[in-house]
Amino acid sequence: MSQKPASPITPEEARQALELIESTSRQMRRLAAYGGMPYFLIVWGIVWVVGFSANYFVSNPSTRGTIWMVLDILGLLGTAYVVWYIHKRGVHWPMGPTLGWFWFAWMVYGALFVHFAQARGTQLSMLISLWVMFGYVVSGLFYRSRVLITLGLTVTVFIVVGYVALPAYFDLWMAVLGGGSLAVAGVYMLTAWR
Amino acid sequence: MAEFNALIHQPVRLRIMAALHALPPEARLEFGRLREMLEVTDGNLASHLRKLEDAGYIQVEKTFVGRRPRTYIALTQAGRRAFEEHVEALRALLAWDEGGAAG
Repeated sequence: MSQKPASPITPEEARQALELIESTSRQMRRLAAYGGMPYFLIVWGIVWVVGFSANYFVSNPSTRGTIWMVLDILGLLGTAYVVWYIHKRGVHWPMGPTLGWFWFAWMVYGALFVHFAQARGTQLSMLISLWVMFGYVVSGLFYRSRVLITLGLTVTVFIVVGYVALPAYFDLWMAVLGGGSLAVAGVYMLTAWR
Repeated sequence: MAEFNALIHQPVRLRIMAALHALPPEARLEFGRLREMLEVTDGNLASHLRKLEDAGYIQVEKTFVGRRPRTYIALTQAGRRAFEEHVEALRALLAWDEGGAAG
């Protein structure tokens, strides 16, 4: 018979304590909207699914540009709403503003690179997607989230494989595997953490 | 082997630690929100927080938002480690009961 771990409580009391911890953690994660992360992933996953689908199915470049502009604005509004919602619930994250400024600088530099690289079409989509995924990996380091880092690296592999192996279907590939991965990861987090 | 922590195990303190542990790293929780969640009085919560703060498990920060005073609570590194060790000790006891006791 193995030795009983040193403890002044009974196994039944340990079970009850673990249940209490689990229910409190669940309650807290809901209150803090899971740090916002799954909602950010769902919002931007949908943006990518719709945006890349438009790249593939809509032939007019001007219409595609307008669709992306509207989607980006909706994505930013959705992100701002999640941040506001978490703050309103009494959860303060000192690193939040730093991460916000990081993404702002990221977008400005991304826009400059894209402008001066003079990339067009599929190459442009690939460069922006890689740039965003690099941002996900860095954000994962901020959040200390293995999920976010793994997701960023996985989608990076999808981007490179799609661009090299299936350039003609790259946008469709990105809608399904890029945007789909983000949205599914967000939904999975919500389900698994509930 | 992970050690049982009597200070953390008290039910209100256990819930305080579990709630703070579930926050994203570096995040802080407002006192009023924690009180509502745990359904305890101001005095009761303050007394438990003091014990956890004295042990170095949490950090209490008082600040002002406009003219209103706000108190934020966060888990320290030591608190995170102590809580995780306590949970591990509880799981070890349960594992012993469910299988190890016979082996």
